[in-house]
Amino acid sequence: MIPDLELENLEVVYHHVATAIQGVSLRVPPGAIVALLGTNGAGKTTTLRAISGFLGADDAQIVGGRVLFQGATVTGRPPHELARRGLVLVPERDKVFETLTVQENLRALVPGARVDHDAPRPPVTLEQVFHYFPALAGRRRQLAGYLSGGERQMLALATALLCRPRVLLVDELSLGLAPRVIESLMALVARLRDELGLAVLLVEQNAGAALAVASYGYVMEHGRIVYDGTVERLLAHEDVREFYLGMGRRAGRRSYTEVKQYQRRRRWF
Amino acid sequence: MARPALMLLAALLGVTATVTPALAQYRIGMSAAIAAVLVTITLGILLRAAIVLVYTDRIRHPLPLLGLANPPRRLPGGAVVSTFDLLTVAVAATLFVGLFAFLRLSPLGIQMRAAGEKPLLAAQRGINFQLLFALSWALAGFAGALAGILYANNVRLDPSLGVLGLKAFAVALVGGLDSLGGVIPGALIVAAVEVLSVRYGDPLLADVSPFLCLLAMLPVRPWGLFGTREELERV
Amino acid sequence: MAFGGGYFKTTYAGDLALIDTRLRRAALGLLVFALIVLPRFASPFMLDLVAQTALAAVGALALNLLTGLAGQVSLGHAGFIAAGAFTTAVLVEHRLPSPLLALPAAALVGAGLGVIVGIPALRLKGLYLALGTLALHHVVLYACGEFQSHWGANTGVSIPPPRFGAWVLKGTIAWYYALTAIGGLVLVLSVNLQRSRAGRAWMAIRDREIAAESVGIDVARYKVLAFVWSSALTSVAGALFAYQRAFVSVEAFGFFLAIEYIAMVIIGGLGSALGAVLGAAFVTLLPYGIDAGVAALRVPGGAEYYLFPLKFGAFGLLMAAFLVFEPQGLVGIWRRARNWVVLWPLRYRPLRPAS
Repeated sequence: MIPDLELENLEVVYHHVATAIQGVSLRVPPGAIVALLGTNGAGKTTTLRAISGFLGADDAQIVGGRVLFQGATVTGRPPHELARRGLVLVPERDKVFETLTVQENLRALVPGARVDHDAPRPPVTLEQVFHYFPALAGRRRQLAGYLSGGERQMLALATALLCRPRVLLVDELSLGLAPRVIESLMALVARLRDELGLAVLLVEQNAGAALAVASYGYVMEHGRIVYDGTVERLLAHEDVREFYLGMGRRAGRRSYTEVKQYQRRRRWF
Repeated sequence: MARPALMLLAALLGVTATVTPALAQYRIGMSAAIAAVLVTITLGILLRAAIVLVYTDRIRHPLPLLGLANPPRRLPGGAVVSTFDLLTVAVAATLFVGLFAFLRLSPLGIQMRAAGEKPLLAAQRGINFQLLFALSWALAGFAGALAGILYANNVRLDPSLGVLGLKAFAVALVGGLDSLGGVIPGALIVAAVEVLSVRYGDPLLADVSPFLCLLAMLPVRPWGLFGTREELERV
Repeated sequence: MAFGGGYFKTTYAGDLALIDTRLRRAALGLLVFALIVLPRFASPFMLDLVAQTALAAVGALALNLLTGLAGQVSLGHAGFIAAGAFTTAVLVEHRLPSPLLALPAAALVGAGLGVIVGIPALRLKGLYLALGTLALHHVVLYACGEFQSHWGANTGVSIPPPRFGAWVLKGTIAWYYALTAIGGLVLVLSVNLQRSRAGRAWMAIRDREIAAESVGIDVARYKVLAFVWSSALTSVAGALFAYQRAFVSVEAFGFFLAIEYIAMVIIGGLGSALGAVLGAAFVTLLPYGIDAGVAALRVPGGAEYYLFPLKFGAFGLLMAAFLVFEPQGLVGIWRRARNWVVLWPLRYRPLRPAS
């Protein structure tokens, strides 16, 4: 089966000089939720930006490898074209138009125009959106700038859904949100996958929340993918448990001084 | 120099002037405000050079050349204005209503406002923001050109008319940059000050009066009469 | 941004040094020597071009302090230049033509104007600041115009050549040395400001005002300071301009002059002293280059008439080209070349090894 999204040896360079990611390959099969984990500066966001065609604004460029979307090479295509094809990003911050009302936010987008003949994308209606995000229905006339963090995230997901995505790229869904909100949003993402047949690439620092809904995971460090596997395999890996889930080999909590040593004791390679 | 060569050169300048804004505005590494200001200035320079190349820099009066007259009209109440004055007011009102409806109600207008706020997010939602930027420059150019046509027919035509555009900045800022409704009171205030300073001061003072209005406004209420404070942070 | 070099500074003194490597010291010595002996070889026309570039560089460096370092866009630069020039004119009218008096007076007037502009400007930024300074430019020019017509000197004021005791500054070579020396002084001053506390505060404010404030930088004070330094230096440039042209008139300080200075810092590269000097040279020499080009092409019949719009158009085209293709300016090209040399034979700086 052709994966919905596939990266082949992607390499990105900033300011024509500094390599940010190198040899990054990953695949997102249809209908799967795939997690991309990593600490700050690992290259997760750069990878996402490279996929969605956004590097120009940061003076970066793809110098090697390709991005395949449903089997077609889309490396370096402009972001609006990718969005119309069905590759839609929910960004980390700046995710709603703050000077527009909620209603206008939901109208200010171009739903995917390209129809895939073999598997037509189902249209997403406003009713469906309000069904998934009932909290937004009561706030249609409010400026999006006055929404709370959780509501913003919902609005961002809602506008992304209205673009009729085939693959949803979600950057840091959990950022700045309370654990309970994160849990419900993750459950919602899983529900959207089931009901709308989306494939999702979750880019997360909160590994626990991401692995709870994902089926496959990649771990990034220093601009490379260092480990990947099914969620079961990741959860069984000693280092993932220790460094990403905070669960030590021994039972009980670890002291700060022990955690501080973790850079030295990594053993991916 | 040969006339076709000049025309070609002018066309080149004109094309550069129209393509530059759309290209430069998001490529530039500095803040959007500097970029926009510089692009506007560059555009003005290019267009002016193109105009002087094709036409001369002599002052002209196009109305007699077109075979049109500009008879004075008497308004109820005794005021006398020229026909083109009335036409200018009518065009301004139509443009105002049209723009208001376009930006508030049409999907394209909402997309334009969205792209203006966050171009990158707009692109992620399938909006071709470069095209929309080009469109907004075209709209602004269209409105500016209308103003120029009306002014040239009513008063005179010369290549230094561009200075008129600087006054528009004063009007927009006094009214509030993000408030379409503020344009009308802003324009009224600036125009009133200008007319009064012609009457009671001297013409040189009248030339700078829009800027005096602006300078009076900025320290007190920088976001303009009807603007919002948030807008100050954005541009 | 230099990447990949193995050169690190290990002391604070090293970090603060004006000229940090032996190579640079040698290059600088060579440049100074070349500038000193240039009059022996170059024609008066060439010397005049260098002098004009040096004068433009003073103004460009001043604008770079404000716009490039502190991030405050100013379209009112020509107004400050006019203020300096007219200070000189006023002193000349009052029979005080000595530059020993006029230059400090111009600096003082400029600094005062900087405070007057800087304090209201604290509330403004971006587009609002740009348009506010634009408005100020028109108002200053109006005031100067009123002065000019008030004296009955409708066309302008003549300025006698500067006199130091018995010695009179006259002739191309003398002006060349004077302006180049002053340009050099302002360059050192500006680089010095950049590496010191004020310059670092300005850059912090430019990059993120709230963050700068939260690490204890007095944003208001440093913003006003940027305006004061910039407008004082600009006014000095204006006074020098008046002496060199020997004539002051409002017409010389139009909006286009302000654009030329902005173009210098943009084309050169915002925030870099080297860029300001390169940009000043570029913008000053461009019209002469076009003159030479048109003369070389020998276009028949009435080419002179089109020279002005041609220069104007070329200026606009180049500015557009830099805005679109090289937003970092000439300095960006220079940095890229340097990185290429440093990284060779690699093309990019490699990733950190995953330890």
